[in-house]
Amino acid sequence: MEIQTLYQLKSKFVAREVGNELILVPLTGNVAQMSELFTLNETAKFIWENSTEKTTVEDMENALTETFAIDRETARKDIENFLRQMEIMFIKKG
Amino acid sequence: MGNQQNSINLVIAGFLIRLFSDSVIELEEGYLPFVVQKEERDADVTMQCFRAIPSLTFQPDELVFEAKNEEQLFYSIYRTGRNFGFIIYDQERFDEIQQVAMLDETFSHWKVYSEATSENNIMPLKYPLGPIVMHYLTLKTNAVMMHASCAFDGKNARIFTGFSGAGKSTMSKMWSAAGNGIVNDDRLIIRKRENGYSVYNTPMYYADIPKVAPLSALYIISHSPENMMKKLTGAMAITKVMAFCIQNNFEKQFIESRLSFFSELCASVPVYELGFVPDESVVKFILENETGGIK
Repeated sequence: MEIQTLYQLKSKFVAREVGNELILVPLTGNVAQMSELFTLNETAKFIWENSTEKTTVEDMENALTETFAIDRETARKDIENFLRQMEIMFIKKG
Repeated sequence: MGNQQNSINLVIAGFLIRLFSDSVIELEEGYLPFVVQKEERDADVTMQCFRAIPSLTFQPDELVFEAKNEEQLFYSIYRTGRNFGFIIYDQERFDEIQQVAMLDETFSHWKVYSEATSENNIMPLKYPLGPIVMHYLTLKTNAVMMHASCAFDGKNARIFTGFSGAGKSTMSKMWSAAGNGIVNDDRLIIRKRENGYSVYNTPMYYADIPKVAPLSALYIISHSPENMMKKLTGAMAITKVMAFCIQNNFEKQFIESRLSFFSELCASVPVYELGFVPDESVVKFILENETGGIK
């Protein structure tokens, strides 16, 4: 999944912040998908909330390294892992 | 099919539902214990009920929700102006429409069109419309409806929820055998009240008296080789519990309402993940391990 896709997905979910985590609930017209709720940890929540139409992976790396005091390699792995998880959860199930 | 009147008051989970019609209204057996004769207060929900289904009951703008599985379509919901239109299918003859219903934007007023029964009466709450009416009632109030069982020991009510086959009914049997009351073993309404949260049973396909108990703990259950439990908090507790709430998530405001309810509930009532052996040992295990968790 491209990072810009996250921005497009936002309108299909309702989000609620709980502590440092974020709950995502899909807007759906299908009863079978109603039990699919997702919890994002602090880093994933940051990526989700800060993804815009024009965000690049490099932009997000910079934002993560500045916010969480982690190196670029760790930031890139966090982004890649998160995008992979999102793809499994939202795209393949959808 | 016992009660037959043109106007019926039902009190379910403390909410007043008033049905009226020019035709004689029949109720399924499970609703009869919830009928009240005199109720002066304003109804939380009114249901104007009609015999026969007109060919054009409402003009559908958009199909917004379908409750179906691989075998069967249970009901469809359409947006029609600012209201919602429901088409309810017969649960035995899948392609036949059983009821058509309209719900206004305040979730307070229904119009229900039903085919006549063999006695030329109507059954506006015939399954699944009854639970649908209850669900939309909870959306306009501080309440939710859940697939769960609930045991009450006279002081604490414990809710057990999980996937189909997780052991909700089994858990009820274990607690019942240990001398506890069972609020219900399938479908419950939880309401926020002044002194905490209350659990209510709802009309089922069999008759049972209305019950209410103070909620003390929620358990997400599954079968396990040994009894084990873990307390859940924060987002994990909310998502695990909310997953078993009855919901029609096609409107943002519905989801926000549910998230708000469960956020408050899970901050106030302890939530546990429980793996259990399906025998009487689980009751003792819970009583020994939840101490301190029950508020």
